[in-house]
Amino acid sequence: MFVQQLINGLALGAVYALIALGYTMVYGILHLINFAHGEVYMLGAYLGIIVMGLFTLVGLPAYSLPLTLFLTILISMAFCALYGAAIERFAYRPLRAAAKLAPLISAVGVSIILQNVVMLTQGTEYKNLPPLLPSEGFDLLGANVSPVQAFILSSSIVLMLILHFFVAKTRLGKAMRATSQDRVMAGLLGININQVISITFMIGSSLAAAAGVMVTLYYGVVHFFMGYLAGIKAFTAAVLGGIGSIPGAMLGGFMLGLIENFGASYISSVYKDAFAFLILIITLILRPSGLLGQKAMDKV
Amino acid sequence: MKRFFAYLSVLGSVAVFLISCQSQQQNVIRIGAAGPMTGDQSKMGIDLRNSVELAVAEWNQQGGVLGKKIEMLAGDDQADPKQAVSVANKFINQKVVAVVGHWNSSCSIPTSKYYSDANIVMISPATTNPQFTLQGLKKVFRVCGTDDQQGRIAAAFVLKTLRPKRIAVIHDKTAYGQGLADYFQKALGNGAEVVYYGGIVQRDPDYKAVLTAIKEKKPEVYFFGGIYPEAGRLVRQAKEVGLSIPMITGDGVYDPTFVNIAGKAAEGTYVTFGKDPAGLTTARSFNEKYKKVYGEPGPYSIYAYDAANVILNAIKATGSTDATTVAEYIAKSTFQGAFGDISFDKNGDVTKAPYVVWQVRDGKFTEVK
Repeated sequence: MFVQQLINGLALGAVYALIALGYTMVYGILHLINFAHGEVYMLGAYLGIIVMGLFTLVGLPAYSLPLTLFLTILISMAFCALYGAAIERFAYRPLRAAAKLAPLISAVGVSIILQNVVMLTQGTEYKNLPPLLPSEGFDLLGANVSPVQAFILSSSIVLMLILHFFVAKTRLGKAMRATSQDRVMAGLLGININQVISITFMIGSSLAAAAGVMVTLYYGVVHFFMGYLAGIKAFTAAVLGGIGSIPGAMLGGFMLGLIENFGASYISSVYKDAFAFLILIITLILRPSGLLGQKAMDKV
Repeated sequence: MKRFFAYLSVLGSVAVFLISCQSQQQNVIRIGAAGPMTGDQSKMGIDLRNSVELAVAEWNQQGGVLGKKIEMLAGDDQADPKQAVSVANKFINQKVVAVVGHWNSSCSIPTSKYYSDANIVMISPATTNPQFTLQGLKKVFRVCGTDDQQGRIAAAFVLKTLRPKRIAVIHDKTAYGQGLADYFQKALGNGAEVVYYGGIVQRDPDYKAVLTAIKEKKPEVYFFGGIYPEAGRLVRQAKEVGLSIPMITGDGVYDPTFVNIAGKAAEGTYVTFGKDPAGLTTARSFNEKYKKVYGEPGPYSIYAYDAANVILNAIKATGSTDATTVAEYIAKSTFQGAFGDISFDKNGDVTKAPYVVWQVRDGKFTEVK
């Protein structure tokens, strides 16, 4: 059972980690908690179900399932990247010089708008996706690793590696790190701040979209309110790891997934959600800056 | 002085408005239809509303009742007890004569007191928690069975047919789900050992942790007290953690949506529900009428239709809209419903509520003979 719970927890944690990255990157650069981020994840899930429906109409899954999944994730990520950039352009950029609370309120507003737009256009019913991948997977030390879990774990690790190399090795990544350290100074040195911020939002949103598509495959249900709890959980993961730190968000996400699963299986499934927040409170009391939040130089 | 006239005119218009409401109210008889019409259980509430609407339209075609038109008001409780109470208050303000609803036990039980205090007859087509009619409220009825009957039948079936030694029992922590799970466990007696008992969180997308914990206890069958969205996710994820034992569950799961969510994983699931009404001529004609307007009827459509007709027939027979008179008449009479004859015992439960066991086979609910 331990191995099975470990795998369940890691798969769930990978999803939290992908969403948490968006929170942490935006916070690293703007010191803004983007409360609309959970909604972008919800949009990604809806886009995933729509795109997959379209592909099924033309018969692509029967031709090649991996290609279908790959294209679905890519399209959903691209769309949500645009959403992310647009949200930043219209809801946050005009308020950048304003007091800190103003963009936060704007973020909550965007979140409410997105939820209601989806509710009005897609309805309040749960949308179901029939299972695309078989449920029996391969055996690992007595635990069943389903194809969806393997897919979630592998693709999220690939995405995180790409992100890591992007931030660590590319020119744009360097510009992002510089902007997070000192926005004014980076601007004086010729970095296009607006562009860097836009790109940060695009990356964060596309990762959330990937998480949305994965969850759709995993659970097979989407609804307009799903972004709320997932957003709060991912935000918890980001704070747990140390908000502003990219490795922290990854660590926090995986930890949260594991805590939830082990708590629910060994202690009580009724209080599953409570464990995550309990650990958060304990962490914040003992280490207010989060697990990896100390290294201020690394935050992006 | 000017201000005085302004106040006067406002007062006057309010008075006119109130009087016009009053007179309007005298010309129509209002019936409430309450259930979850948005959210993940919305199909149930919409089925309920459609059926009441159908019954009301039929009565209005024949001139209404007591020479008045009947008006249906819909109330969406979102399967949430707090919303249900606010729906009840709305209905009370709108002076409804009777309510068909609510759908969920957790909504029906708290609202029943409000309706009774406000002198409103309440008939639920789907509330199965026994507590609902055991509160001593004389104006509260139901046209479906109860969870102790259902739990007994499920337990008897499990012990006789599946003969497991070890059983897991889970529920969704609602009045309905937990109640049903407890009645099932009680009815099992010493017939089998309950090796796992626990609750899950409604609307949580991930149940793999609890399913893995169940798998560890090696039960041969598991019982779930709850509604189809959770049941669908449970059986789907059970297969993914390698738990391939049958689920047995209650009437809240009897809906095609369950199969839509779970896909192939739904196969073999046992569900207790009322007998198939398709054998009855009256039920067939109801199904045709319903289909013409709303599409395929849901599992509780016919119950809601019968509930509305019981109320309207009682109003017609007594010539009164007073809830006490109407309720007394309902309690002692037999009605011809689309689902067969309906009569009530001293609590307000139907005298005959035969549950049978169904199983999902090839994506369809099939009665287990």
